[in-house]
Amino acid sequence: MNTLSSEERNALKDSVSKLMSDASTEAEVRRVMETAQGFDSDLWRALSEMGVIGLITDEKFGGSGVGPMELEAVMEETGAALLCSPLLASGVIAAELLQALGDETLNADLMPRVATGETIASAVITGDKGCWTESGVDISATAFEGGWQLEGRGNYVLHAQNADVLIVIANTESGLAAYTVDPSDDAVQIEALPTLDRTLRIASVRFSGAGAKQINATRPVWEAVSQALNLALVALAGEQAGGAKKVLDFTVEYAKTRIQFGRQIGSFQAIKHMAADLLVETESAISAARHAASSLADPSSHTHEAISLAAFACADAFVRTAADGVQMHGGIAFTWEHPAHLYLKRARANAQLFGSSDFHRENYLKALGG
Amino acid sequence: MTTTSNTNDESLRQEVKAWLAENWTQDISKELLNEQIYWEVSAARKNWLKKVVEARWAVPSWPEEWHGRAIANEQASIIEREFAKVRAPGAGQDRNNLWANTLLAQGQQGLKEKLIGPLLRSEVNMCLLYSEPGAGSDLAGIRTRADKQGDHYLVNGQKVWTSGAATAEYGMLVARTNWDVPKHQGISFFFCPMKQSGIEVRPLKQITNESHFNEVFITDATVPAENILGAPGMGWQVLNMALAYERSSMGEGARGPRSGVKQTNKEEPLINLAREASRLDEPHLRQQIAQAIAYKKLNALNTARAKADLSQGTSSSIMSLGKLAMSRILHEEGRLRTEILGAESLLEGADHPRAEDANFLSLNAYFTSIGGGTDQVQRNIIGERVLGLPKEPEVDKTIAFRDVRTS
Repeated sequence: MNTLSSEERNALKDSVSKLMSDASTEAEVRRVMETAQGFDSDLWRALSEMGVIGLITDEKFGGSGVGPMELEAVMEETGAALLCSPLLASGVIAAELLQALGDETLNADLMPRVATGETIASAVITGDKGCWTESGVDISATAFEGGWQLEGRGNYVLHAQNADVLIVIANTESGLAAYTVDPSDDAVQIEALPTLDRTLRIASVRFSGAGAKQINATRPVWEAVSQALNLALVALAGEQAGGAKKVLDFTVEYAKTRIQFGRQIGSFQAIKHMAADLLVETESAISAARHAASSLADPSSHTHEAISLAAFACADAFVRTAADGVQMHGGIAFTWEHPAHLYLKRARANAQLFGSSDFHRENYLKALGG
Repeated sequence: MTTTSNTNDESLRQEVKAWLAENWTQDISKELLNEQIYWEVSAARKNWLKKVVEARWAVPSWPEEWHGRAIANEQASIIEREFAKVRAPGAGQDRNNLWANTLLAQGQQGLKEKLIGPLLRSEVNMCLLYSEPGAGSDLAGIRTRADKQGDHYLVNGQKVWTSGAATAEYGMLVARTNWDVPKHQGISFFFCPMKQSGIEVRPLKQITNESHFNEVFITDATVPAENILGAPGMGWQVLNMALAYERSSMGEGARGPRSGVKQTNKEEPLINLAREASRLDEPHLRQQIAQAIAYKKLNALNTARAKADLSQGTSSSIMSLGKLAMSRILHEEGRLRTEILGAESLLEGADHPRAEDANFLSLNAYFTSIGGGTDQVQRNIIGERVLGLPKEPEVDKTIAFRDVRTS
């Protein structure tokens, strides 16, 4: 893994920011979120050309081979722009899971296509419990005619409806194992689920004796899943920090232009003090997300502590900023036309992915020795 | 990136390291680190600071004529980090010595020659003569007057919330020198000599049962004209600069428990307390403990990020958030300690150190949330100066101060 200099990282962040302001405008987000696919193929290609989809994929598999700090920086920008894409599902979670599982033959074939975005991969980890812990795995695998068959249901699977390949975590008689599954198999039933956050794509996936290839894992499977989830949490933290900052920015701008009682509403302390508190939340979220990223990049640091902290601090900061942002705008933000609700919904959705804030607070306390 | 200065950086780091290795001996460090004094400076500490100043580690970013090395902030922070690593005091005063920074920036040559050195060596005791009974959050509403009489000013009025007034040699004083202009324009800033008959200091008892603050009654006290900082009538600008130094240092730390009972392990104090109280397994407490620790950690991360921004030459708005964040941390820790203890928190005194600590922290949290600008004033400052939101209309902004309404 290569870590870029802070100048190079800022340059990457700037180029993503520019792409977002060109191609992930509010109008585009609103258009794309109402399509069945839920992402724009041209923008997906542009992200690929920029090296963003394969950002954390090793160079030997055609990726950029950079680390969590670069990913976090990019996600601050995509979060601010409410990017609709399978980046987190495919380029982050599935790619990192495949790398962590370490099946070189499979990876040599699959990962270059995932890194360019030509193939979309999605990882099926949790079941109906939606808790992203080992006990949440709800699929069982049995050996069958020299291969494997899967039974059971995965849920809350990001972009499963767009996936070209599924990476499935399942229980076997001898413990947890990982599989690749072709989603077009007749015994795989993918149901796209309606979501509060329309910029998100989620599906449930039912396996009824579906054929599967076991991944030749070089380490305990849950260890690999944890590694992928840790990276996902760092990415999500960046997205949340970027989203929170964006909401605060446009809310403060509105408070400077909206006139009531003959004054800009931002001159009222009732509004000004909320904004000041949100600045504390937002800056703290940025600090936490970047700290988690640098901690994950440095194996000698207290990684679990830093990631758990970022997970709940960034989730809570984004939800609070988006929620207070609606309140500070007043009636205009209760309308569908105003973008505030898009951020509130993204914030609420993000806060439930890969574990709730309470779950991460508990993990944080444990990591501190409590 | 500054590849050319990297060699300089490294040789500077080695120079500081070597100096500390030679001078920060076991004997000295043991003595200084075990001190439990908050409001005065020991002889040992003064000796140490004298060495630090002589070696030009105290204010490295300052000009050479004022004990500095005229190096960039980025390099100065290398020195500070090396001192911090071995917990040696005295470095970083170009960032955190309120008195010396204010004097260097705004003082006249004679006063600087007289006091900068002693201030850096903590040989001079100082106090703040800002707040008045009628001017708390509205600090520009001060009514203490300073009237020019030949080569000195004659000062009359009353100040409050003055810590260290009884031992101070000088007070940083704001007083009104012109009553015929709007309030911000008629204020001047002085180094006021405290050891004179016109200054009377009376201790104030606080809600914590301690007396660290005083009231100061000023009756015909004199201040030499050369002790004015900035031009007459420009005191508000000098004051704002001084307040920024004070607030940024308040975000970095605050007093902990006072029972004197030391925790033996390195565990987070709240986890330790809940464990002792056999309540560490209660989920609702675990959530609150994690959150309280998180507030503290997040503030530390913000401060670290702000310092990194500063050392890269970009100014950071995050610094101004520290004090507000710190007051939430302290109030929350006090509240949570109380909740963990339950009925035990009814007690106080040396025989009940856990209750004593919980109650003291709960009450002393107001030191940070009111002192140096209330949380509410702090939110105004963040809203206006960082976020650029407009000020509230001010009814006393443009009229002569003598016509302003008072309570």
